[in-house]
Parts: sequence; structure tokens; C-alpha cells
Amino acid sequence: MSRTISEQLTIIKQQHRLGVMTHVVMGYPSLHETKQRVLAMAAAGVDSIELQIPFSDPLADGPAITKANQQALAAGVTVQQCLQLAEQLTRAVDIPLQCIGYYNTIHHFGVQQFVQASQAAGIQGFTIPDMPLTEEPYEHFYALAAQANLPVIQLISPATPIERLRLINQHAQAMVYCVSRFGVTGAHTTLPDHLITYLRTVRQYVTLPLAVGFGISTPKHIRALHGLADVAVIGSALLNVSLENLTQQLTNLCAER
Amino acid sequence: MKSSMKKLFFKTQYEPDEHGHFGEFGGQYVPELLIPALEELTQAYEQAKADPSFVATVHEVFKNYVGRPSPLYFAERLTKQLGGAKIFLKNEGLNHTGAHKINHCVGQALLAQRLGKTRLIAETGAGQHGVATATVAAKFGLHCTVHMGAVDVQRQAPNVFWMQQLGAEVRVVHDGSQTLKDAVTSALQDWMTDPIGSYYLLGSALGPHPYPVMVRDFQSIIGIEVAEQFQAYEGQGSVPDYLVACVGGGSNAIGLFNAFLDDKQVKLIGVEAGGRNPNQVGEHATRLGRQPQVGVIEGYKSFFLQDDDGNLQPTHSVSAGLDYPGIGPEHAYLYQQGRAQYVAVTDVQAVQAFRALANTEGIVPALESAHAVAYAIQLAPTLPPKKTIVVNISGRGDKDYFILRELIH
Repeated sequence: MSRTISEQLTIIKQQHRLGVMTHVVMGYPSLHETKQRVLAMAAAGVDSIELQIPFSDPLADGPAITKANQQALAAGVTVQQCLQLAEQLTRAVDIPLQCIGYYNTIHHFGVQQFVQASQAAGIQGFTIPDMPLTEEPYEHFYALAAQANLPVIQLISPATPIERLRLINQHAQAMVYCVSRFGVTGAHTTLPDHLITYLRTVRQYVTLPLAVGFGISTPKHIRALHGLADVAVIGSALLNVSLENLTQQLTNLCAER
Repeated sequence: MKSSMKKLFFKTQYEPDEHGHFGEFGGQYVPELLIPALEELTQAYEQAKADPSFVATVHEVFKNYVGRPSPLYFAERLTKQLGGAKIFLKNEGLNHTGAHKINHCVGQALLAQRLGKTRLIAETGAGQHGVATATVAAKFGLHCTVHMGAVDVQRQAPNVFWMQQLGAEVRVVHDGSQTLKDAVTSALQDWMTDPIGSYYLLGSALGPHPYPVMVRDFQSIIGIEVAEQFQAYEGQGSVPDYLVACVGGGSNAIGLFNAFLDDKQVKLIGVEAGGRNPNQVGEHATRLGRQPQVGVIEGYKSFFLQDDDGNLQPTHSVSAGLDYPGIGPEHAYLYQQGRAQYVAVTDVQAVQAFRALANTEGIVPALESAHAVAYAIQLAPTLPPKKTIVVNISGRGDKDYFILRELIH
């Protein structure tokens, strides 16, 4: 049985270190390899993993993850299979696994049914980039997730104004995901210049732990996040690392946390 | 004339709430990154509408640059040949750049200018909206990036060349089905990378709020003019019995319908693309066919063609502008409320209608508009001669000559 996101964040804090969150697209390159990758990530000591449900039109994702989504769908991966895989994985590891995806997947499944199925599968939270807080009065997704004690991770961007930071702080649960730059997911060689000021501003208004993602790819990036954030999110950078090299890469990255 | 004209910005009983929800449809389902940009846009648009100098500039550009009003033409030979209701054509193909798209491009480019933006981003399917955007970018001295699916780049080569001559960068999209839906995603992502300096000039009455409302408002000039022009033919106080327009995203149709929405005696008909086979997945783009399914994709809630897991399904239409799996949220609402009716016409019927109109009236419609003509050709003979139908010729067909030549041979 896996820990909750908040429990894992407490451990990170007690160990006075940075957390590392990684990401997989379920079914890319295959459901079987997804399973092996998640197990390898957990064994390498990462603190949590985002399990992305593939979707045809992933608005917030750059070319690498978009391609992975499309390949998984072309191979016939279904939401049901993703939930089954998630259930096997949450039983096998003790770190929290979260579901990341797009809102139409949930809407089409039925919001309540999806939250229940995720809870049954041992999922510990959701990140849904195209379901902003402002649509909640029409959707009741956050409310249903809260009833199941599952946090919906809020996203913040460098464009988020202060009043919106305040609003998000009121409703956020577990942690807040800070998108590091303008644009979509994808590995970059350097971190954006404004990152320090941006994260300090967010810190002023947001009390929960901060995860930082979009473009984090090297041990150097992770070092740079010490003292600024609580969790580093590594997504696209690991997507096409072979299973054989994954453990080594993760060990190098985790050594800097 | 202008004093008697209905105002460009007006409200009907089908307006959305303050967050852009038409009943359950519409909204702003976008990543946090775009929320501030959309809020800025909504505010700027509200202010602009209330600013008489902005409204006057829109009218001035419509008249002297676009060439408005576009004519409402009585298609006498076509009417006679069909032997039923009178058919009138609202000829948006005579606008500068050859289609209705220029209407919302002018309005939005003026807004972009007001906001101090230096670059326009657009997506395009048939290329008409891309050409119109590249045109206003040139006119107002703005940079321009047009996103276009690789499949559409191939089938609409003349428009690609045209956009490039106007100074626009055409960015070819190789993701997904390489058509309009992928161009929309790519354009939205481009905007996410530069939300402060650039303006996303969306090309249909869809996407996140405020686009569906804003595009509709700038297109409403079509229906406003029809209301006036129709009375010149049929007498003071008369209104058409039927309005017929093709519906991809739905901008030309909502532009024709809007001024008549509150007048229930006017029947509204949107024509979707039946493609090669309206009953087979991937062969058509009839979102409102058998069992329309609500979804949330590309920033708005509406009816989408989707599979069992909510993924967008592939579509097909001979006309690139109708080859899209979603439909503007106000159309979804009008459909649900029963205010408008939606029908489908196949590729073959559209091509036949294209030739029929060319032969009887010497007017070559865009393949998109030919869908509306095709339905009018079916409808007219079933009605008595005192009934009237206004068909929106949303664009002219020059861009389709090469596709047609291939199809006909």
C-alpha cells in the first residue's frame, strides 16, 4: 500500500532534502515496459511518480510527450487498462503514484466513477492541466476528489497574477505544481533566468510545498532548486531513456536532491 | 442607412453567463498559463465594445477595406430550376480575401493593436482564416504565424503560397491527424509560449471564452446586413423563412443566425460535413449526427466526435474547413435548445452543388459553402414558391479548383 502525497512530503522534509517526482506515459512504449519503468523508478528512490493516461490532444504537452501519448493510443491502450496497471503498481510500491491526464478522459468516464475507480486503484492524487479551479462550479471534480481524500494538484505558471495565487492557495491540497516556464512540457538545457524571483514570489503567497517542473532534466538543475522548491519534477527528460540506463540516470539525479 | 442598422454588438436570449457558459457548453478549460491572457482579453474586449471609436473603426474597415456590405443576391435561375422556394445568396465570397473570415480578423486585429501585441498567431484548416489573418497582420503591421496541419498544407497549397506572400510564417503541424484540430492545439501551445507579446487570433466561434462570443459578434454583421437587404427584396418588415449555412467550427453560421436568433419564425439550419459516409467513424465530420457526445477538448465544452475513452476521432470532409471533430459551444446550445437544426451533406452532394451553382448562377462557392448550397437544393423544391431561403456563401471557391479538378476527373 502506497503512502499519500502528504506523508511522502513529510518524509522529504524530515530528511532535509529535495523530493524527486518522475513521470511515465502509461502504455508507452508498452504497458509491460511502463510497469518495469515505474518499478525501476521506485527502486531508484524517487519520491512519487505521475502516471499519465494517454489522450489524443494533450494541450499542455510538448512534442516528446505528445508523441508518446499518440503511440500509446495507436497501440490500443485504454483507460481501463491504465487503471488496472495503476492498481498493480500501487500495490507493488510504497511511494505515492498520481494520475495525470486531461479532463475529457475523466468527463467521458464519468467524474464520480473516475474518482472512485482511481481511489480503488490506489491512486493518491490528480493533476489535470485543463481543469482550472474556475470551472469547478460547473464540474464538481475537486469536490468529488476531496470526498475521496484525493488531492487535485494545482498548477501555477510565471503568468499567474498574485490575486490568483491567493485563490489557488485557498483551495490547493498537498502541494502546488509550479510550471517553470512559458510553454509546454519538454527538456531544456538551462533553467529560465526568472525562476528564482518567480519561485520566491510564489512562496510568499502559497504555504504548501512547491513542486517545480517543465524543463528539469539534469543533476545541475536539481542542485539549483535547493532552497527554492520542495520537489523537482522530471518528465520528458526520462521519457526516452532506455530501461537499462534508467536506474543509473535516476541514481545520478537523486544524488543531487 | 447606418442609423437604421441594428448595432454590431447586441445581446440575444442565447447569451452565455459571465464565464462564457452557454448552458452546459463553452467555458475556459485551459491550463493555468492561459487564464491571465484570457482574462486580459475578455476585459479588453468588453471595453472595446463600449468604446464608440473602436466600433466606428470596425465599421470603417469593414466598408473601405473588406468591401462591406456583401451583396444579398436573388438566385433566380437556380430558384426556377428547382421550382420551389426562392433562394437568396449572401455572398461573403466577395469580401476582400474571398471569405467571411476577414470579418473576425479585422475585429480581432484591432483588439490586438489595442492590447499592444506585436504578433498574431492563428490556426487554419482550409487556409481561408490563415490568409485573412496574414492579410490583417500586413495591414496593421504585425508579425504573423499561421499553424496548419500537414494534410491541409498539401490540399490547400494555393492558400499556403498566398499567406507566405503576405509575409506570414506558415508552421506545418505533423502531430495527430495533421489537420485543423492539431493546428488549433499547436497554435494554443505557441500562445502558451508567448502569452504576453502575442495575440491568438482564433478562427472560429469556438475555443475558450471569450472567443466564441467575440468571433460571433464580429461575424454578426452578416446577419445584420441580410436583415436589411432582405427587406429591400421582399418588403418592409419581412424576414427569411430559412437561413442555411455550413458548420465546421460554426463562425459563418453563427454570424448569419445571430441577428435572427430571437425571431422564432426564422428557421435556422446548419449543414455539417457528411464526408464519404456519415455513418462510419473517420469518414465524416457530423458532430450532431446520431448520438452527439459532450466533451471538453481544446479549451471548451461542446459536442465532439470521440471514442469510448474520450479521445478525438479522426474526421473526413472534402472541405478542409469542415473537417473538424468539434463544434462551437453556441451551436451546441442552439442544437440542444432546438433553436437551430443541423443536417449533413456528403462530399458528393457538395461537389454536385458546387457545379450546379457555377452553372446556373456563375458563382463558384468554396467547398465548405457548397455544403449549404447542397442542402438548399434539397430543401427548396419541398417548399411553396412564396417561401424564402437565404444561403450563406461563406467563401468563394478559387482555392478549391485543384481539388475539384482531381475529384471530377
